[in-house]
Amino acid sequence: MSAELGTLLAISVMALATVFNRAAGFFLMRLVPITPRVRRVLDALPGALLVALLAPGAVRGDRGMIAGLVAAVLVARFLRSDILAVVAAMVAAAAVRFFWP
Amino acid sequence: MPQTSHSPTTFTLAGTAEGLRAMMPLIPGLFVFAMAFGAAAAQKGLTLVEASLFSAMVFAGLAQMVALEGWTQHWSVTALLTLGLLTMAVNTRHVLMAAALRPWFAPLPAWQSYGALLLLADNNWALAMRYRTQGGSDAGYFVGAGFITWLFWVIGTAAGHVVGGGIPDPKQVGIDVVVPAFFIAILIPNWKGRREAVGWGVAAAVAIGVSFVLPGWWFIVIGALAGALAGGFTDER
Repeated sequence: MSAELGTLLAISVMALATVFNRAAGFFLMRLVPITPRVRRVLDALPGALLVALLAPGAVRGDRGMIAGLVAAVLVARFLRSDILAVVAAMVAAAAVRFFWP
Repeated sequence: MPQTSHSPTTFTLAGTAEGLRAMMPLIPGLFVFAMAFGAAAAQKGLTLVEASLFSAMVFAGLAQMVALEGWTQHWSVTALLTLGLLTMAVNTRHVLMAAALRPWFAPLPAWQSYGALLLLADNNWALAMRYRTQGGSDAGYFVGAGFITWLFWVIGTAAGHVVGGGIPDPKQVGIDVVVPAFFIAILIPNWKGRREAVGWGVAAAVAIGVSFVLPGWWFIVIGALAGALAGGFTDER
Protein backbone atom coordinates (compact mmCIF):
# COMPACT_ATOMS: atom_id res chain seq x y z
CA MET A 1 0.00 0.00 0.00
CA SER A 2 2.15 2.81 -1.22
CA ALA A 3 2.52 5.42 -3.86
CA GLU A 4 5.78 6.59 -5.37
CA LEU A 5 6.51 10.30 -5.85
CA GLY A 6 7.24 10.12 -9.59
CA THR A 7 4.07 8.15 -10.23
CA LEU A 8 2.02 10.60 -8.19
CA LEU A 9 3.54 13.48 -10.15
CA ALA A 10 2.66 11.82 -13.45
CA ILE A 11 -0.91 11.18 -12.31
CA SER A 12 -1.21 14.79 -11.09
CA VAL A 13 0.03 16.11 -14.44
CA MET A 14 -2.63 14.04 -16.22
CA ALA A 15 -5.30 15.20 -13.77
CA LEU A 16 -4.37 18.85 -14.39
CA ALA A 17 -4.43 18.32 -18.15
CA THR A 18 -7.89 16.72 -18.10
CA VAL A 19 -9.31 19.37 -15.75
CA PHE A 20 -7.89 22.06 -18.04
CA ASN A 21 -9.63 20.53 -21.07
CA ARG A 22 -12.93 20.13 -19.21
CA ALA A 23 -12.92 23.73 -17.99
CA ALA A 24 -11.49 25.36 -21.13
CA GLY A 25 -14.35 24.61 -23.50
CA PHE A 26 -16.93 25.87 -21.05
CA PHE A 27 -14.89 28.98 -20.22
CA LEU A 28 -14.11 29.88 -23.84
CA MET A 29 -17.80 29.75 -24.78
CA ARG A 30 -18.26 32.77 -22.50
CA LEU A 31 -16.56 34.80 -25.18
CA VAL A 32 -18.75 33.44 -27.98
CA PRO A 33 -22.16 35.08 -28.28
CA ILE A 34 -24.82 32.34 -28.46
CA THR A 35 -26.55 33.40 -31.68
CA PRO A 36 -29.21 31.10 -33.15
CA ARG A 37 -26.55 29.84 -35.58
CA VAL A 38 -24.05 29.08 -32.81
CA ARG A 39 -26.79 27.32 -30.89
CA ARG A 40 -27.62 25.15 -33.89
CA VAL A 41 -23.97 24.17 -34.24
CA LEU A 42 -23.80 23.37 -30.51
CA ASP A 43 -27.05 21.39 -30.82
CA ALA A 44 -25.57 19.40 -33.71
CA LEU A 45 -22.35 18.72 -31.79
CA PRO A 46 -23.36 15.80 -29.52
CA GLY A 47 -24.62 13.63 -32.38
CA ALA A 48 -21.66 14.51 -34.59
CA LEU A 49 -19.18 13.75 -31.81
CA LEU A 50 -20.71 10.36 -31.04
CA VAL A 51 -20.75 9.45 -34.73
CA ALA A 52 -17.11 10.55 -35.06
CA LEU A 53 -16.18 8.40 -32.06
CA LEU A 54 -18.05 5.38 -33.43
CA ALA A 55 -17.49 5.37 -37.18
CA PRO A 56 -13.76 4.55 -37.50
CA GLY A 57 -14.05 1.64 -35.05
CA ALA A 58 -17.15 0.36 -36.81
CA VAL A 59 -15.55 0.24 -40.27
CA ARG A 60 -12.53 -1.57 -38.81
CA GLY A 61 -14.65 -3.87 -36.65
CA ASP A 62 -14.82 -7.64 -36.97
CA ARG A 63 -18.05 -9.55 -37.74
CA GLY A 64 -18.92 -9.60 -34.04
CA MET A 65 -18.64 -5.83 -33.72
CA ILE A 66 -20.79 -5.30 -36.84
CA ALA A 67 -23.42 -7.73 -35.57
CA GLY A 68 -23.46 -6.00 -32.19
CA LEU A 69 -23.87 -2.55 -33.70
CA VAL A 70 -26.67 -3.69 -36.03
CA ALA A 71 -28.45 -5.29 -33.06
CA ALA A 72 -28.07 -2.03 -31.10
CA VAL A 73 -29.53 0.03 -33.96
CA LEU A 74 -32.54 -2.28 -34.30
CA VAL A 75 -33.28 -2.52 -30.59
CA ALA A 76 -32.78 1.20 -30.01
CA ARG A 77 -35.01 2.02 -32.97
CA PHE A 78 -37.89 -0.30 -32.15
CA LEU A 79 -37.72 -0.91 -28.40
CA ARG A 80 -36.25 2.47 -27.33
CA SER A 81 -34.33 1.00 -24.43
CA ASP A 82 -30.68 1.69 -23.55
CA ILE A 83 -30.24 -1.43 -21.47
CA LEU A 84 -31.84 -3.75 -24.06
CA ALA A 85 -29.71 -2.21 -26.82
CA VAL A 86 -26.53 -2.84 -24.82
CA VAL A 87 -27.52 -6.41 -23.89
CA ALA A 88 -28.63 -7.27 -27.43
CA ALA A 89 -25.34 -5.92 -28.81
CA MET A 90 -23.27 -7.99 -26.36
CA VAL A 91 -25.24 -11.16 -27.05
CA ALA A 92 -25.06 -10.65 -30.83
CA ALA A 93 -21.31 -9.94 -30.77
CA ALA A 94 -20.51 -12.84 -28.45
CA ALA A 95 -22.72 -15.26 -30.42
CA VAL A 96 -21.26 -14.32 -33.80
CA ARG A 97 -17.71 -14.60 -32.45
CA PHE A 98 -18.49 -17.98 -30.87
CA PHE A 99 -20.26 -19.61 -33.84
CA TRP A 100 -18.41 -17.87 -36.64
CA PRO A 101 -14.97 -16.95 -35.36
CA MET B 1 -37.96 27.08 -36.99
CA PRO B 2 -39.19 25.33 -33.86
CA GLN B 3 -36.59 25.48 -31.10
CA THR B 4 -36.67 23.17 -28.10
CA SER B 5 -37.52 25.51 -25.26
CA HIS B 6 -36.09 24.75 -21.85
CA SER B 7 -37.27 25.81 -18.43
CA PRO B 8 -34.63 27.63 -16.33
CA THR B 9 -31.66 25.51 -15.27
CA THR B 10 -32.07 23.83 -11.89
CA PHE B 11 -29.86 21.57 -9.80
CA THR B 12 -31.90 19.20 -7.65
CA LEU B 13 -31.42 15.95 -5.80
CA ALA B 14 -34.32 14.41 -7.74
CA GLY B 15 -32.55 15.24 -11.02
CA THR B 16 -29.32 13.75 -9.65
CA ALA B 17 -31.14 10.52 -8.78
CA GLU B 18 -32.71 10.41 -12.24
CA GLY B 19 -29.31 10.76 -13.95
CA LEU B 20 -27.85 8.13 -11.67
CA ARG B 21 -30.60 5.67 -12.59
CA ALA B 22 -30.36 6.43 -16.31
CA MET B 23 -26.65 5.55 -16.23
CA MET B 24 -27.22 2.08 -14.71
CA PRO B 25 -27.46 0.14 -18.03
CA LEU B 26 -23.85 0.99 -18.77
CA ILE B 27 -22.38 0.36 -15.33
CA PRO B 28 -21.67 -3.40 -15.68
CA GLY B 29 -19.86 -2.91 -18.99
CA LEU B 30 -17.99 0.11 -17.64
CA PHE B 31 -16.97 -1.85 -14.58
CA VAL B 32 -15.35 -4.52 -16.74
CA PHE B 33 -13.44 -1.82 -18.66
CA ALA B 34 -12.28 -0.35 -15.37
CA MET B 35 -11.13 -3.82 -14.28
CA ALA B 36 -9.20 -4.20 -17.52
CA PHE B 37 -7.47 -0.89 -16.79
CA GLY B 38 -6.74 -1.92 -13.20
CA ALA B 39 -5.21 -5.19 -14.35
CA ALA B 40 -3.10 -3.42 -16.99
CA ALA B 41 -1.95 -0.89 -14.39
CA ALA B 42 -0.90 -3.73 -12.10
CA GLN B 43 1.15 -5.23 -14.92
CA LYS B 44 2.90 -1.88 -15.41
CA GLY B 45 3.93 -1.95 -11.76
CA LEU B 46 1.46 0.54 -10.28
CA THR B 47 0.40 -0.23 -6.73
CA LEU B 48 -3.25 -0.59 -5.76
CA VAL B 49 -3.25 2.90 -4.25
CA GLU B 50 -1.58 4.41 -7.31
CA ALA B 51 -3.96 2.73 -9.76
CA SER B 52 -7.04 3.78 -7.75
CA LEU B 53 -5.77 7.37 -7.40
CA PHE B 54 -5.05 7.38 -11.14
CA SER B 55 -8.68 6.58 -11.99
CA ALA B 56 -10.10 8.84 -9.26
CA MET B 57 -8.05 11.90 -10.22
CA VAL B 58 -7.85 11.58 -14.00
CA PHE B 59 -11.19 9.86 -14.77
CA ALA B 60 -10.58 9.58 -18.51
CA GLY B 61 -10.44 5.99 -19.70
CA LEU B 62 -9.01 6.51 -23.16
CA ALA B 63 -6.23 8.85 -21.96
CA GLN B 64 -5.41 6.51 -19.06
CA MET B 65 -5.07 3.52 -21.38
CA VAL B 66 -2.91 5.50 -23.80
CA ALA B 67 -0.69 6.87 -21.03
CA LEU B 68 -0.23 3.41 -19.56
CA GLU B 69 1.29 2.24 -22.85
CA GLY B 70 4.28 4.48 -22.26
CA TRP B 71 4.30 4.29 -18.46
CA THR B 72 7.71 4.35 -16.79
CA GLN B 73 9.19 4.15 -13.31
CA HIS B 74 11.32 7.27 -13.73
CA TRP B 75 9.67 10.53 -14.72
CA SER B 76 11.90 13.26 -16.13
CA VAL B 77 10.54 16.78 -16.59
CA THR B 78 10.43 16.19 -20.34
CA ALA B 79 8.51 12.95 -19.88
CA LEU B 80 6.00 14.69 -17.60
CA LEU B 81 5.48 17.52 -20.10
CA THR B 82 5.00 15.02 -22.91
CA LEU B 83 2.49 13.15 -20.78
CA GLY B 84 0.55 16.35 -20.13
CA LEU B 85 0.43 17.25 -23.82
CA LEU B 86 -0.51 13.70 -24.81
CA THR B 87 -3.37 13.75 -22.29
CA MET B 88 -4.66 17.06 -23.60
CA ALA B 89 -4.42 15.85 -27.19
CA VAL B 90 -6.26 12.58 -26.53
CA ASN B 91 -8.96 14.43 -24.59
CA THR B 92 -9.39 17.41 -26.91
CA ARG B 93 -12.97 16.25 -27.39
CA HIS B 94 -13.66 17.28 -23.77
CA VAL B 95 -13.16 20.91 -24.85
CA LEU B 96 -15.97 20.53 -27.39
CA MET B 97 -18.15 18.58 -24.98
CA ALA B 98 -17.81 21.23 -22.28
CA ALA B 99 -18.53 23.97 -24.84
CA ALA B 100 -21.81 22.26 -25.71
CA LEU B 101 -22.80 22.39 -22.03
CA ARG B 102 -22.45 26.21 -21.89
CA PRO B 103 -26.06 27.16 -22.75
CA TRP B 104 -27.31 24.69 -20.14
CA PHE B 105 -24.88 25.30 -17.25
CA ALA B 106 -24.21 29.04 -17.76
CA PRO B 107 -26.93 30.19 -15.29
CA LEU B 108 -25.41 28.10 -12.47
CA PRO B 109 -22.93 29.58 -9.97
CA ALA B 110 -19.35 28.91 -11.05
CA TRP B 111 -18.62 26.41 -8.28
CA GLN B 112 -21.56 24.30 -9.48
CA SER B 113 -20.88 24.51 -13.21
CA TYR B 114 -17.11 23.94 -12.97
CA GLY B 115 -17.62 21.40 -10.22
CA ALA B 116 -20.01 19.48 -12.46
CA LEU B 117 -17.51 19.67 -15.33
CA LEU B 118 -14.98 17.70 -13.25
CA LEU B 119 -17.32 14.73 -13.83
CA LEU B 120 -17.31 15.17 -17.61
CA ALA B 121 -16.81 11.86 -19.43
CA ASP B 122 -18.05 10.53 -22.77
CA ASN B 123 -20.90 8.38 -21.50
CA ASN B 124 -22.56 10.65 -18.96
CA TRP B 125 -22.13 13.63 -21.28
CA ALA B 126 -23.82 11.77 -24.14
CA LEU B 127 -26.64 10.66 -21.86
CA ALA B 128 -27.12 14.16 -20.42
CA MET B 129 -27.13 15.77 -23.86
CA ARG B 130 -29.95 13.47 -24.92
CA TYR B 131 -31.85 14.42 -21.75
CA ARG B 132 -31.23 18.06 -22.65
CA THR B 133 -32.43 17.55 -26.24
CA GLN B 134 -35.61 16.05 -24.88
CA GLY B 135 -36.25 19.21 -22.87
CA GLY B 136 -34.48 18.44 -19.56
CA SER B 137 -33.01 21.33 -17.57
CA ASP B 138 -31.83 19.82 -14.28
CA ALA B 139 -28.00 19.92 -14.11
CA GLY B 140 -28.23 17.30 -11.37
CA TYR B 141 -28.95 14.75 -14.12
CA PHE B 142 -25.44 15.26 -15.50
CA VAL B 143 -23.88 15.15 -12.03
CA GLY B 144 -25.74 11.99 -10.98
CA ALA B 145 -24.78 10.16 -14.17
CA GLY B 146 -21.19 11.43 -13.83
CA PHE B 147 -20.85 10.52 -10.18
CA ILE B 148 -22.01 6.91 -10.59
CA THR B 149 -19.68 6.54 -13.59
CA TRP B 150 -16.75 7.93 -11.59
CA LEU B 151 -17.54 5.73 -8.58
CA PHE B 152 -17.62 2.49 -10.55
CA TRP B 153 -14.63 3.54 -12.63
CA VAL B 154 -12.57 3.80 -9.42
CA ILE B 155 -13.99 0.67 -7.75
CA GLY B 156 -13.56 -1.31 -10.98
CA THR B 157 -9.94 -0.18 -11.29
CA ALA B 158 -9.19 -1.35 -7.76
CA ALA B 159 -11.01 -4.65 -8.34
CA GLY B 160 -9.11 -5.26 -11.58
CA HIS B 161 -5.81 -4.52 -9.84
CA VAL B 162 -6.62 -7.07 -7.13
CA VAL B 163 -7.93 -9.77 -9.49
CA GLY B 164 -5.11 -9.22 -11.98
CA GLY B 165 -4.94 -11.62 -14.89
CA GLY B 166 -8.14 -13.53 -14.13
CA ILE B 167 -10.35 -11.21 -16.20
CA PRO B 168 -12.16 -12.70 -19.21
CA ASP B 169 -11.14 -11.47 -22.65
CA PRO B 170 -13.48 -8.47 -23.18
CA LYS B 171 -13.95 -9.36 -26.86
CA GLN B 172 -15.06 -12.92 -26.24
CA VAL B 173 -18.01 -11.89 -24.07
CA GLY B 174 -18.86 -8.89 -26.21
CA ILE B 175 -17.79 -6.23 -23.71
CA ASP B 176 -16.05 -4.20 -26.42
CA VAL B 177 -19.43 -3.43 -28.06
CA VAL B 178 -21.01 -2.12 -24.86
CA VAL B 179 -19.95 1.51 -25.21
CA PRO B 180 -20.56 1.76 -28.99
CA ALA B 181 -24.01 0.17 -28.48
CA PHE B 182 -24.80 2.65 -25.70
CA PHE B 183 -23.79 5.53 -27.99
CA ILE B 184 -26.09 4.16 -30.69
CA ALA B 185 -28.97 3.90 -28.21
CA ILE B 186 -28.38 7.56 -27.38
CA LEU B 187 -28.07 8.63 -31.02
CA ILE B 188 -31.16 6.94 -32.48
CA PRO B 189 -33.82 9.04 -30.66
CA ASN B 190 -31.93 12.20 -31.73
CA TRP B 191 -32.54 11.44 -35.40
CA LYS B 192 -34.97 14.01 -36.69
CA GLY B 193 -34.20 14.30 -40.36
CA ARG B 194 -32.19 16.33 -42.82
CA ARG B 195 -29.91 18.09 -40.35
CA GLU B 196 -28.91 14.82 -38.70
CA ALA B 197 -28.41 13.11 -42.05
CA VAL B 198 -25.99 15.84 -43.13
CA GLY B 199 -24.25 16.33 -39.76
CA TRP B 200 -23.81 12.65 -38.97
CA GLY B 201 -22.86 11.77 -42.53
CA VAL B 202 -20.15 14.42 -42.62
CA ALA B 203 -18.93 13.45 -39.12
CA ALA B 204 -18.66 9.78 -40.12
CA ALA B 205 -16.96 10.44 -43.46
CA VAL B 206 -14.46 12.95 -42.03
CA ALA B 207 -13.69 10.84 -38.94
CA ILE B 208 -13.10 7.72 -41.04
CA GLY B 209 -10.98 9.65 -43.54
CA VAL B 210 -8.89 11.34 -40.85
CA SER B 211 -8.42 8.06 -38.98
CA PHE B 212 -6.61 6.66 -42.01
CA VAL B 213 -4.45 9.77 -42.49
CA LEU B 214 -3.54 11.14 -39.06
CA PRO B 215 -2.16 9.11 -36.15
CA GLY B 216 -3.80 9.19 -32.74
CA TRP B 217 -7.24 10.42 -31.84
CA TRP B 218 -7.54 13.54 -33.97
CA PHE B 219 -10.32 11.89 -35.95
CA ILE B 220 -12.72 12.41 -33.04
CA VAL B 221 -12.35 16.17 -32.77
CA ILE B 222 -11.97 16.88 -36.48
CA GLY B 223 -14.92 14.63 -37.38
CA ALA B 224 -17.08 16.11 -34.60
CA LEU B 225 -16.31 19.71 -35.60
CA ALA B 226 -16.94 19.05 -39.28
CA GLY B 227 -20.21 17.27 -38.50
CA ALA B 228 -21.42 19.93 -36.04
CA LEU B 229 -20.70 22.74 -38.52
CA ALA B 230 -22.32 20.85 -41.40
CA GLY B 231 -25.36 20.02 -39.27
CA GLY B 232 -25.59 23.48 -37.75
CA PHE B 233 -25.48 25.17 -41.14
CA THR B 234 -28.06 22.84 -42.63
CA ASP B 235 -31.40 24.56 -42.43
CA GLU B 236 -34.52 22.50 -42.18
CA ARG B 237 -37.03 23.22 -44.85
